[in-house]
Amino acid sequence: MKRKMISRILPVILIAAMLFSSNAYAANTAAARAASYQSKDVAIGSSNDVLMVGEIQPTIMSVTMPTYVPFNMARSIQGDNKVISPRITIKNNSSVPVALDVVYTAVDLSKLEGTTWSDGPNVGEKQIAVGFQAESMANQMPTSLDGTKWLRANSSDTINITSISALDSSIMYVVGTLGVAVPENAFTVTPTFVVRQAQ
Amino acid sequence: METRELTQGGEAVSTKAAKPGKKDKKGKLLILLLLLLLLLAGAVIYYLLQNKSGMELDDNATIGIMPGIDIAQRQAELQAQLDEGMIAFSINTNPVFASGSAEGNLMIENPGNNAKLIVVELYADETGELIYKSKALPAGSYIEKTSLDKVLEPGEYAVTAYFNAYRESDQSYIGQAGAAIKLTVLS
Repeated sequence: MKRKMISRILPVILIAAMLFSSNAYAANTAAARAASYQSKDVAIGSSNDVLMVGEIQPTIMSVTMPTYVPFNMARSIQGDNKVISPRITIKNNSSVPVALDVVYTAVDLSKLEGTTWSDGPNVGEKQIAVGFQAESMANQMPTSLDGTKWLRANSSDTINITSISALDSSIMYVVGTLGVAVPENAFTVTPTFVVRQAQ
Repeated sequence: METRELTQGGEAVSTKAAKPGKKDKKGKLLILLLLLLLLLAGAVIYYLLQNKSGMELDDNATIGIMPGIDIAQRQAELQAQLDEGMIAFSINTNPVFASGSAEGNLMIENPGNNAKLIVVELYADETGELIYKSKALPAGSYIEKTSLDKVLEPGEYAVTAYFNAYRESDQSYIGQAGAAIKLTVLS
């Protein structure tokens, strides 16, 4: 009778012991795996079986652009554009698109007695206007004033000049015009270029 | 009339007298030759003096092509000036600072091909306040993490980073370019 009892209870104890030990092993392994990941990176998601680890890399903006743009104006130049401009190349070396703005334009016309600034191409006898225009023909200064982004004198209005795709470049020229009575002397136009990540 | 001449041996010998008309003729010829030479020299001197006054250089003259005459030449000169003022830089568009006084990942770089010194200034757009100014970064260097000069409250800030370029040779100022970024202070 006693023997019969033992033979019935023993298998039940054995099965129970086996179930307990396998659960305990699984829990230990998951805890150890989680601990090893946490010591390295920040976990952004996990499940019971697979722990996913991620890290957001900073977005680096990398550009090559001018700090100073020299130009000359001359009435003798053929066409509407009276500016001799260098070829201005702006390179976006980053993997995000960027936009180039002029956030301020300091203008000094003190040496051009009685001359005022114009925000557009329709200048009076004693007015002057300067802006930027994208290159339409390779290595050719623009002759017309169409499509010019005009600068505003001593104003903080942001003017978008160009947008550049990732790892691309943009080429532009200074363009402008002046009235017939503007004295032929030096003046300064200092635009402040600011690049930003394009939306 | 008799004249005496000395021979190689020192012996005096007598010769026949020269004809009187011949000597006079020679003298006249010599005088004529001298006059001709004088005239020629005068003409040469006059010619040289005339030409010398035409060759004088004007002190007010500037060597080079007059601006506006050769547009291509002027454009090339302007291009050289522009190229000297070109600047390359990198910056993190969204630097994060754990607190107002902690270091953040600004990640500003002056690449090796720049050949310029760069000084970086950060201005808060809203207040116009200078919140960070670096010392000069030589070409081929970067600052990965830095703390701000002004302790900011937690929040997001629109900031403009100005990269001021200076010549390596004499540290004279060239110009500046800017980058708009968003700066975050967590706590």
